[in-house]
Amino acid sequence: MLSESEKKVIAAIQKDIPVVERPFRVLAEQSDMTETEFLAILNDLCQRGVIRRLGATLRHQKSGFEANAMTAWQVPENRIEEVGQKMASYREISHCYRRNPSPDWPYNLYTMIHARDEGSCIEIARKISVETAVNNYELLFSIREMKKTSMEYFSNDDDMESV
Amino acid sequence: MDDIDKELLNRIQSDFPVTSRPFLAIGNELGISETDVIERITRLKESGIIRRIGGNIVPTKLGFVSTLCAASVPENRVDEFADVVNQYPGVTHNYQRNHDMNMWFTFIAPSMQEIETHLDAISRQTGITGILNMPATRVFKIRAHFDLS
Repeated sequence: MLSESEKKVIAAIQKDIPVVERPFRVLAEQSDMTETEFLAILNDLCQRGVIRRLGATLRHQKSGFEANAMTAWQVPENRIEEVGQKMASYREISHCYRRNPSPDWPYNLYTMIHARDEGSCIEIARKISVETAVNNYELLFSIREMKKTSMEYFSNDDDMESV
Repeated sequence: MDDIDKELLNRIQSDFPVTSRPFLAIGNELGISETDVIERITRLKESGIIRRIGGNIVPTKLGFVSTLCAASVPENRVDEFADVVNQYPGVTHNYQRNHDMNMWFTFIAPSMQEIETHLDAISRQTGITGILNMPATRVFKIRAHFDLS
């Protein structure tokens, strides 16, 4: 599926790119390859969509997007495509997924709403509810971040066995 | 943060240049020097606005599966539950939320069977049952870019 060199590039790039003039040379040296090889493989992994996004991840709390609300919506299944597309079009919504409902948790569409404060999140959800005619929903604000990391793929040989 | 910082943050959240001198490339786009770019990004990292610069991998492209899990945990047992759940390297995000269904975490693993085995073990260890396992069946949007202007 992936070559050993590709795994090395993934292992390197999922950490933090050093902020120096030639960051990829540093990562390449750590991965026992040349900068040219490293860049070619990295470029290919981006083109193939193995790497979804290459760039900076911000802490929203410090960049002005103070509040976010996970919103769980109960949407009739025959409207899921229409409503999912519509919700995805809002700029305040960063993520929108369908997930299976269960007897004690009937919600099947999940969105992440971002705004300046919690009141704005509530307002945006109300507006979306009206505009999509989906009335049953729950806003879940995070009280505490208990863990936030990136998954580490191929960071040692044992991990490679399991792929 | 000044306007150049904001422009820089808008620019570097995606499509980071895959070239030998990426900060020079970014500087050329924004009309500032490579040194200025490096100094500003270093400062934005030190002040905590930038969490990380790197690649976001698509788990399914590597043969992994991912899911969103939720559990209803009594308030006084939240820390204990989080400690158990967070031990798994495949748990990448875990939030306490303001609802009866109060613990929400993401799980990535080589197979759904492995995730189910882990969830069973978490239930046995904590006594918290009925953990919801809700993989996405349809993705309508994933965006991690925030416009700062």
